[in-house]
Amino acid sequence: MKDTWKRFKQNRFAFVGFLFIALILVVALFAKWIVPYDPYFMDSSSPLTSPNGQHWFGTDQFGRDIFSRILYGTQISLKVGLIAVGFSLFFGTIIGIVAGYFGGKIDQVLSRITDVLFAFPDILLALVIMAILGPSLTNLMIAIGIVYTPIFARIARGAVLSIRDSLYIEAARSMGVNSFQIMLRHILPNSLAPLIVQVTLSFAFAILAEAALSFLGLGVSPDTPSWGIMLSEAKDWMEISWWTAIFPGVAITLAVLSFNIMGDGLRDALDPRLKNER
Amino acid sequence: MKRFVGLLGVALLLMLAGCSGNQESSPKKEDTPKSEGQKESIGEPVEGGTLSIVDLNDAQGLDPHSETNAQSMHYIENMYNTLFKYKEGTYGEIEGDLVKDYEISEDGTVYTFTLHDGVKFHNGDDLTSEDVKYSIERIVEQLVRAPQFEDIETIETPNEQTVIINLKKPVAPFLTFLAYPMNAIVNQSVVEGNGGSLDNVDAGSGPFQLVHWKKDQEMVLEKFEDYFKEGLPYLDQITWKAVPDETSRTTAIRNNEIDVILQLSPKDIQLLSKSDGLSVEPVTGTYWEYIGLNLTAGPLKEKAVRQAIATAIDREAMNKAVKFGQATILAGGPIPEGHWADAKLDNYSKPDIEKAKTLLKEAGYKDGFDISLKVGQNKAQVDAAQVVKQQLKPIGIDVEILQQEDSIFFDALGKKDFEMSIVGWVGFVDPDEFLYNIFHTDEVFNQQAYSNPEVDSLLEEGRETAEQNDRYDIYKKAQSIIVDDAPMIFLYANQHASAIRDGVHGFDVNPTVTTKSLETTWIDR
Amino acid sequence: MFTYILRRLLIAIPVLFGISVLAFFMVRLVPGDTVTAMLGTNYNEAQAEILRQKYGLDQSIIVQYGLWIMNVVKGDLGISSLTNEPVFDILLTRLPITLELSFISILFALLIAIPLGTIAALKRNTPVDYGASFFGMFGISVPNFWLGTLMILYLSLHLSWLPSSGFVPLSDGVWANIKTMIMPGIALGTSVGAVTMRMTRSSMLEVLGEEYMKMAKAKGVTNSRLIWKHGLRNALVPVVTVLGIQAGYLLGGSIIIEQIFSLPGIGQLALQAISNRDYSLLQGTILFIASAFVLINLAVDIIYALINPKIRYS
Repeated sequence: MKDTWKRFKQNRFAFVGFLFIALILVVALFAKWIVPYDPYFMDSSSPLTSPNGQHWFGTDQFGRDIFSRILYGTQISLKVGLIAVGFSLFFGTIIGIVAGYFGGKIDQVLSRITDVLFAFPDILLALVIMAILGPSLTNLMIAIGIVYTPIFARIARGAVLSIRDSLYIEAARSMGVNSFQIMLRHILPNSLAPLIVQVTLSFAFAILAEAALSFLGLGVSPDTPSWGIMLSEAKDWMEISWWTAIFPGVAITLAVLSFNIMGDGLRDALDPRLKNER
Repeated sequence: MKRFVGLLGVALLLMLAGCSGNQESSPKKEDTPKSEGQKESIGEPVEGGTLSIVDLNDAQGLDPHSETNAQSMHYIENMYNTLFKYKEGTYGEIEGDLVKDYEISEDGTVYTFTLHDGVKFHNGDDLTSEDVKYSIERIVEQLVRAPQFEDIETIETPNEQTVIINLKKPVAPFLTFLAYPMNAIVNQSVVEGNGGSLDNVDAGSGPFQLVHWKKDQEMVLEKFEDYFKEGLPYLDQITWKAVPDETSRTTAIRNNEIDVILQLSPKDIQLLSKSDGLSVEPVTGTYWEYIGLNLTAGPLKEKAVRQAIATAIDREAMNKAVKFGQATILAGGPIPEGHWADAKLDNYSKPDIEKAKTLLKEAGYKDGFDISLKVGQNKAQVDAAQVVKQQLKPIGIDVEILQQEDSIFFDALGKKDFEMSIVGWVGFVDPDEFLYNIFHTDEVFNQQAYSNPEVDSLLEEGRETAEQNDRYDIYKKAQSIIVDDAPMIFLYANQHASAIRDGVHGFDVNPTVTTKSLETTWIDR
Repeated sequence: MFTYILRRLLIAIPVLFGISVLAFFMVRLVPGDTVTAMLGTNYNEAQAEILRQKYGLDQSIIVQYGLWIMNVVKGDLGISSLTNEPVFDILLTRLPITLELSFISILFALLIAIPLGTIAALKRNTPVDYGASFFGMFGISVPNFWLGTLMILYLSLHLSWLPSSGFVPLSDGVWANIKTMIMPGIALGTSVGAVTMRMTRSSMLEVLGEEYMKMAKAKGVTNSRLIWKHGLRNALVPVVTVLGIQAGYLLGGSIIIEQIFSLPGIGQLALQAISNRDYSLLQGTILFIASAFVLINLAVDIIYALINPKIRYS
């Protein structure tokens, strides 16, 4: 563990990513006290003002402060990331471990289902699920969660397969430890490294997916300070006010970038043998 | 002709059925910028040329009798004729199109129409009274606008040029219905030759005929040489393109790539009116927006609560935030100023938070309540919803905005599955259309579930009254009751505007959103 | 070899079947049905019943699936309730646009990825390499729809170089067509380029470490010849696989990119089908996209097996 941390810290890229994520977290937790303006407050006297001393990132068409909305946006992004990824981690890992551990018919069926889900482009699948569930933040998180479940299932299954037949599992089994115990006590901990990496990378995907769905107008409620919604609204106004389209995009990119480089760094740190692939 | 306007495109207008009203509506206000300048000052019409028009979305289909989509209508009305048509440059007046002369019996139940001679369909067939009968029967069969003709008893065709329609009872707006561009006269043999569907074919007699329509790419119409109106149309060809992206539309007209943009947004009106080489022609249109309140359950059952909301809403601020201040606010009823039936009510011209709070308190909601507000994909309506949410906060009403896809949203409205909604109607001509189907108990578009027997009887009376002055009084009274009951909170009537490149003449921006005047449009450059 | 291909084909069949089941039933779970959407406020029970019969919506769902899948096998995906055209025909008219978009994206991606990846590998741990890594990270992090928006903002609105959206068919002029495709192609191709660049770099590094490369170098083969002839050729083998996986991304990404740039392709069609609750169209489109993904990957696997003698067919 110490080694891992050391290796991770040596990777300056990844460490910067980590620091930035920490910053996003702090902003999200304390947004209420940090923001200069109420992010919902419409100042009808100053719509679409360009960035200045009062409004660092300018205002939108309703005169809302873009800087404050971007700070609040961290809450949406992190919440979506946390819950959606938690969802896929939980269900994906269970499915993957069960498939890998029992093998045979169960594995066949679960793996084929995973293959089927993989065949759907993530945005399309999320869109259809959103259409089924209806638009809301909760449903958005569930939709993204379902979409990324197969990835976790596949990783967990792979990890299980690599140790299923190892001696100490054999030993545990011969001592009469039941399957559930073996999965929980022995197999899960051994699958952790790749799962942690995937969690970090999936955070990045989830933030992107939320932004994309909101951008299409099929995500959260339209007055939510979500970065995707801000961008989608900006499309109509950028002709006369570029700032509406720039800052939310920068926010999404930075957040996603941070998770991506941290995930990459973690992968190298946790297991130097793992390949640098997406 | 009424339809919800769906947005930015998605004008999946649900529409239909309509109701009444012919008779003329008053001429527009003097100061409304109109196309006269263009029409008069520039010499003789020039023949030839291709006109390139851009609309927000492409048509869905081309069948005049079943289509409910605004874009489809623009194509269709240039391919077909109707018995009557809206008079150019007016709001609500009509004149004969296929009909040369007509007579209405004293009791208002027998209409006798004489058709023009020598009208040909695009395939060369003659247009006769039989086709008229067939078309009206087909409209009824296709259901979409059947209610407009539900009072027809029989249609007689004594000879090729004469049609006699017998009504069960007088229908004041009957001629207005016949002028509705989608109540077109179609060629029976073409319909039958295509298995009953006109979705992709041209069965018309109009000034232009279909060359090709590549869905989502372009629609090309060319001049119909045997058109029955001598010397018309002037143009050789029209091409239509659907460009949903507002920015590229405005860029294209500024680069002289296109001649006309239909359905300009307020932002683009603002933007383009400063450009050289083109003119923007706005008229206060028939497209008005409102907050719908569902009266079936919850706090909105209380009249005082509804009035509180109506009183708290700052329409002028909304107009500014959402429409660049270009819409005309509706401080009273739905019929906008400039229309002869405008009741000039002024109940809600200034917001009054204190009064709203008092009203809420009376109704027993002094701490306010939580409520949901549904909107579709229409950008301006989504924006309006955000403003409403902020404006209702001070009186303790916490609004949750639910944005839905249009098909789901309209479905929900129809099933009264909403608490509050923001949406609009477009295309009404007669006050009966503005009021009857929306406020009469249990009528098709009465999504608010509003019911007031007094309003019901006024609306029924208006439908059967011929004199405009009498009707004005009736509708004024009906509107003042409706405004007081506040089942809807009227917000504003939008401008209807097109951008037209210099050199295009005789393009009439009709408030009813039709483009029929392409018949007399010409280009000089 | 043959058995390997056969096995891959056999695995693909149940997956395709699964896709059809999911496509069908998922769409049926979507609330609101086509008939009410079509009739709108004009809804009346009798008319709705007629339409339900017309579209076979009055039968049990299993029967409906059976009928549907039997027709699908015959190449009949049903009739779109929105436009009354056969879904298959609609897909065919939309397909070339998405194909062209994908082609331009991949072309753009390769043009960036291969030179950059190769150079990064050769100059490992130099600023060039770091720059390339950063591009790789940036490319997969930046939302394609924002990239598209930025290009519109700068290239269309600011410089007026390119039309901000809309589609011009090839038949109206090649250049006019390409002008409408460049920005969406780049927006969509950037992340593909980034992923491919990373893959090129790492597989190039691996190849450079191989014995035969060292040997060739010892034999005095010139550097550039070495890289092109021996290095890159071998390094590109795994890149093919990555491109296959990216095909799925392109299909998904086209949904949002086609929307932004108003390109009437398959992606935009999917969105239209969803927002209009057009069952047949949505089922057909989903089925088409997912099957295309499976088949492309199948093809890639087979090509990979053919060009890479080192693979073990087990």
